[in-house]
Amino acid sequence: MTTHATETDAIRKTVSVPLPVEKAFSLFTSGIDTWWPFESHSIGGDKTASAVFDVEAKRLYERDADGSEHDWADIVAWEPPSRFLLNWRVNPSRPETELEVRFSPEGGATRVELEHRGWEKCGPEDRSSYDEGWDVVLGKLVDAA
Amino acid sequence: MDALGDGTRRLILERLRGGPRAVGELAAELPVTRPAVSQHLRVLKEAGLVTERRNGTRRLYRVDTDGLAEVRDYLESFWTDVLAAFEAAAEAEAEKEDE
Repeated sequence: MTTHATETDAIRKTVSVPLPVEKAFSLFTSGIDTWWPFESHSIGGDKTASAVFDVEAKRLYERDADGSEHDWADIVAWEPPSRFLLNWRVNPSRPETELEVRFSPEGGATRVELEHRGWEKCGPEDRSSYDEGWDVVLGKLVDAA
Repeated sequence: MDALGDGTRRLILERLRGGPRAVGELAAELPVTRPAVSQHLRVLKEAGLVTERRNGTRRLYRVDTDGLAEVRDYLESFWTDVLAAFEAAAEAEAEKEDE
């Protein structure tokens, strides 16, 4: 495999958690407020109060303490408790990248596989602004191709 | 700065993702003139998206993979952090249920 191919492969992460698959799925989604690292991984930073998977509106967004909302993604596929697929569009003027999270039973536990595809569309031109937060990472950064 | 806002520049970058190319090769593959390709390459170079290297008498352009690797590293650690937080919460939840 060439360096080029490796560098543009999808990003894949896996963890196993000691919960049945239904519980793992609901903790990840409707329970996201209880665990997502908002301070470091949100647009509002420490102002971010919560994140909402609005399945009916097919939308995932964060809500900040001052009531403002910022879109994170469109919900493209919603198949509890096995999988969901999102189009990240933190900045609507930029192209989207795909995030898929799959939940599969592993005995009484659950294997959670996360795959971020299309990230290579991200433009390295923004690399100097990494510290500005998630907004840059998944929104502004995704400005290529 | 909007190095990629232009459709032709995106096409050029896509071609370069397939491997290094000279200006003439890009011009032959795309519906733009050679001077236009040069102009676009200059913008992409200034944006740190492509690098240029001499190969004999030819100048070859390629995607700046250092930049890509940096983006990849960043996202890798981003998702590692998120999943670690999820794992910790799931373990806490499981313990609560055991009680």
